[in-house]
Amino acid sequence: MSAQKLPAEFADLEPFLDWALATERERTSKRLASSMEEIQAFYDYMSARVEAATAYLNAFPLGTLPPEAERLFHLSLSLMEVANAVEMFQNPAVINGFDVKRFAPVEDV
Amino acid sequence: MRTVIADKRWAEKYPEIGTGPVAAEPLISSEHFELEREKIFRRTWLNIGRVEEIPNPGDYIAKDLTMCRASVLIIRGRDGEVRGFHNVCSHRGNKLVWDEKGTCKGTLTCGFHAWAYNTKGELTWVPDEKNFFDLPKCDLGLTPIHTEVFEGFIFIHLAERPPESLREYLGGVADQLEGGGFGELALAKRYRVDEHANWKIALDAQNELYHLPFQHRRTIPEFCVLKDGQFTRLLDVRLFNHHSVYSSDPPEDRVGPATEKLAARFSVAETESRLPRIGSFDFYTIFPNMALLLFRGVSHDFYMSYNFWPQAVDRTDWDIKIYFRPAENAGQRVGQEYFTCLLRDLLQEDATAHEQIHIGLASRAKKELYFQDEEMQIRYFHTVLDRFYAEA
Ligand code: FES
Ligand SMILES: [Fe+2]
Repeated sequence: MSAQKLPAEFADLEPFLDWALATERERTSKRLASSMEEIQAFYDYMSARVEAATAYLNAFPLGTLPPEAERLFHLSLSLMEVANAVEMFQNPAVINGFDVKRFAPVEDV
Repeated sequence: MRTVIADKRWAEKYPEIGTGPVAAEPLISSEHFELEREKIFRRTWLNIGRVEEIPNPGDYIAKDLTMCRASVLIIRGRDGEVRGFHNVCSHRGNKLVWDEKGTCKGTLTCGFHAWAYNTKGELTWVPDEKNFFDLPKCDLGLTPIHTEVFEGFIFIHLAERPPESLREYLGGVADQLEGGGFGELALAKRYRVDEHANWKIALDAQNELYHLPFQHRRTIPEFCVLKDGQFTRLLDVRLFNHHSVYSSDPPEDRVGPATEKLAARFSVAETESRLPRIGSFDFYTIFPNMALLLFRGVSHDFYMSYNFWPQAVDRTDWDIKIYFRPAENAGQRVGQEYFTCLLRDLLQEDATAHEQIHIGLASRAKKELYFQDEEMQIRYFHTVLDRFYAEA
């Protein structure tokens, strides 16, 4: 393998690469399809790394991230997606939440 | 400004609004829905979008207004001017533009027989024109709709002659928001919610903070009740000609969740931006179907807009837009994502509730609603509705 998946100093995040998703719709779907154990594991690990991650990403002008940095960016966005599941609902979905198909992001990023 | 914890201040400030129960029937009845169609949505200024959605000449947005039985086209002309038209072809009435948003190179062409219009709405091309009979081409442009812009918000009025200008219609709301710098912020997220609820049920349910510690007990319980069990009070309630605003200050000692604190650190920006806020959270109801929400953010102010578009008496397209200062780096963008996910998740709690309230009210088990003093602005909204229902 020539192309690395993540910047070298963030290689420890490789086990969580399936959370590197480009759109909110995909990140929400992943949150809803995951067990609370999976979400908690990602949340715990990523919470400890996200400050370093954003510090690394901030060195690039926005919109010019190379692919491996882009994945790190998407992992950081996924942490924001799952935070409420852990901190507020202790459940993947919003408790008393709405059908996400009828609550749709438009121009999804 | 410090929030005063006192009872029944708003009824004292606005005694003419009254304190009695309010009829529930308008929230669910088809008769009122038809009245709204004729007497409200065709007689008021309606917000369609913002100028940033059509930044360049030839950019357009199109919207079917089910409630008004109309389709509206807003287009920026080659001259930079924003104009509104009925989105209807002069040949045989086909809907001219079918997508909700786009750009035209110079002309909009009807899909049926290719009649073409320029960005000023003038008819410029008719295929096989010589085979028509004295076609008055100059008179066959698109039908204009009164369109005015306030602080970048595009409004239309479907009446032939609007009784007042947009500025006059907005009145005190415009006084407060004028020069607000809304254009410095950019659309960060937009959600469309397809709700099985009446549009007024949805709007009313957003138009107060009393429900926060209960309906949002999992998400933002601290914003309304103080720790010692005393209820917080609104900082201010102001009623305008047709509109209203309520404002609040947050509890001083609120401790947010861990990720919120992270996100707050990421969001710190070089540049401050400030909207013309009254409190740290202001909620404007712009009659009939728009709400504008101004927030004191962690490092800079942000705002949201709601447009509640009635589709049927029990169906609403709730259009939610969140505007932030454009992120300068990836960290800020990540911080914003936290706050938009939080807003989205708690508005999901609301959307679910709107449908449950509709089911409850549609049973007609309850004929009247009871509003407390902190729900004055909803009571006022219903008096404005009554005023319009009663018009000739
Ligand atoms: S209806 Fe538009 S060209 Fe015929
Ligand atoms: Fe709510």
